[in-house]
Amino acid sequence: MQTNDGRTGNADLGKALCIITGASKGFGRSLAQLASPLLRPGSVMVLVARSGDKLREVQSEISGTIPAKDGLEIRCVEADLGRKEGLQEVVRVVSGIEPPAIDHVLLINNASALGDVSRFAADFTCLAEVDSYLSFNVSSMLCLTASVLKAFPRRDGLRRSMVNVSSLCALQPFKSWSLYCMGKAAREMLFRVLAEEEPDVRVLNYAPGPLDTDMQLEARSLSGDLELRQTFNSLHASGQLLSCSQSATKLMQQLLRDEFESGAHIDYYDV
Amino acid sequence: MVTAGKHQSEMQTNDGRTGNADLGKALCIITGASKGFGRSLAQLASPLLRPGSVMVLVARSGDKLREVQSEISGTIPAKDSLEIRCVEADLGRKEGLQEVVRVVSGIEPQAIDHVLLINNASALGDVSRFAADFTCLAEVDSYLSFNVSSMLCLTASVLKAFPRRDGLRRSMVNVSSLCALQPFKSWSLYCMGKAAREMLFRVLAEEEPDVRVLNYAPGPLDTDMQLEARSLSGDLELRQTFNSLHASGQLLSCFQSATKLMQQLLRDEFESGAHIDYYDV
Repeated sequence: MQTNDGRTGNADLGKALCIITGASKGFGRSLAQLASPLLRPGSVMVLVARSGDKLREVQSEISGTIPAKDGLEIRCVEADLGRKEGLQEVVRVVSGIEPPAIDHVLLINNASALGDVSRFAADFTCLAEVDSYLSFNVSSMLCLTASVLKAFPRRDGLRRSMVNVSSLCALQPFKSWSLYCMGKAAREMLFRVLAEEEPDVRVLNYAPGPLDTDMQLEARSLSGDLELRQTFNSLHASGQLLSCSQSATKLMQQLLRDEFESGAHIDYYDV
Repeated sequence: MVTAGKHQSEMQTNDGRTGNADLGKALCIITGASKGFGRSLAQLASPLLRPGSVMVLVARSGDKLREVQSEISGTIPAKDSLEIRCVEADLGRKEGLQEVVRVVSGIEPQAIDHVLLINNASALGDVSRFAADFTCLAEVDSYLSFNVSSMLCLTASVLKAFPRRDGLRRSMVNVSSLCALQPFKSWSLYCMGKAAREMLFRVLAEEEPDVRVLNYAPGPLDTDMQLEARSLSGDLELRQTFNSLHASGQLLSCFQSATKLMQQLLRDEFESGAHIDYYDV
């Protein structure tokens, strides 16, 4: 993969603590696979998802491709980030890593849910449902990011990169996608504030484009808005959905080049 | 100045454009109505409501709501009957939301020609701290529940209680902020919440073309919230900015800004889903 193209940038992600949420499938899984060869010996990769079994599959896939000498420690954390205990477990694992041992902490907030896209804004009368959605998609991402920054405070020689897997939905409204658009807009703004407050942290809102994943399948089968559903179906039918690998590659390139403006929204199709 | 009791208030409402002279025979619901901007909205809306209208005022302080109710009732002649219902409720709690929905659902839809919901209730959150300080899930959940979830659920409940019908105008207002569009240091919760509410209402406008949806940013108001902002903000530059706005008399009165919102609602020309700032119009 084109990593060292003559520009100032990095050939790899350093001796890193790389945390990826929603790592058991789809985009998160591709991120884990593509990041692993970019991590120097002594790096730790923390993969988070609700399915311990699927995480261990990802771990096997990765370990199988790395020569034993390139010691990459992979820790699977089976946790539901929508629950306090889940968040605490991830923080516990992350806090167990010795800060001076690494030169780069990279958190990719990828875990995400569509919410019930069969219904419209005017249908969401249940407080518990909306609270639960926001807790998983917004609160947990804020608290995890904050916890990682606290566990790895600013230090000369330590690069800190915080990624929000965003969406076009953070910028534009889509019918029958009220929860998802609302959550993505909140996350995007949060990371823009973070970028203002923490100038030494590299903050990125990356919108991956329309990916061929289970989430996309949900979108094209269940969306309450028929026009939107048709749009997704035709993207799928005409082979225009992106592979996770394609989009994850672009995100990795952005992180390696490290030229993005902190707090910026970068879409797959922009770069 | 607004003269109570007239259908056509002395505020410039009928300036030759197509628009309304008043808000109709309305159900007007205002959250956070006990003080500040919400209180001004209640005061300014009341003379614009035709006889038979109902105003539902929501806040946590029942006492303050009753003061607002007295102020308003005192200025309306008995014949211009405006029923005011005070709902003491904490929208951050399920029971609070349910209580408001219960009161609203008790009003006969056929009896009114306009349902107007102004989602004004709002909290700054802890502005003394920065994004990297928010490690407590319960605190962030609680903030989002009050500022985002309850506003979505209330809006949805009102739309369900008053479904689309010929002759029924439905207006949903989100009291927004510049913070919905631009990040401000030490204001992560507030910016995040306002951005979420704004996007929600943009989706609502797309989904419900017959509903008049407005994101109104009132400008920097001289309120308790503003006092919090200039005393407590963790970012010193921001605090200085607010202090100098205050000291130089550039803060807006709630009355000034509420007047503009009422004008927008009367003219009813805004693009549904638009973000309108006090300084834009």
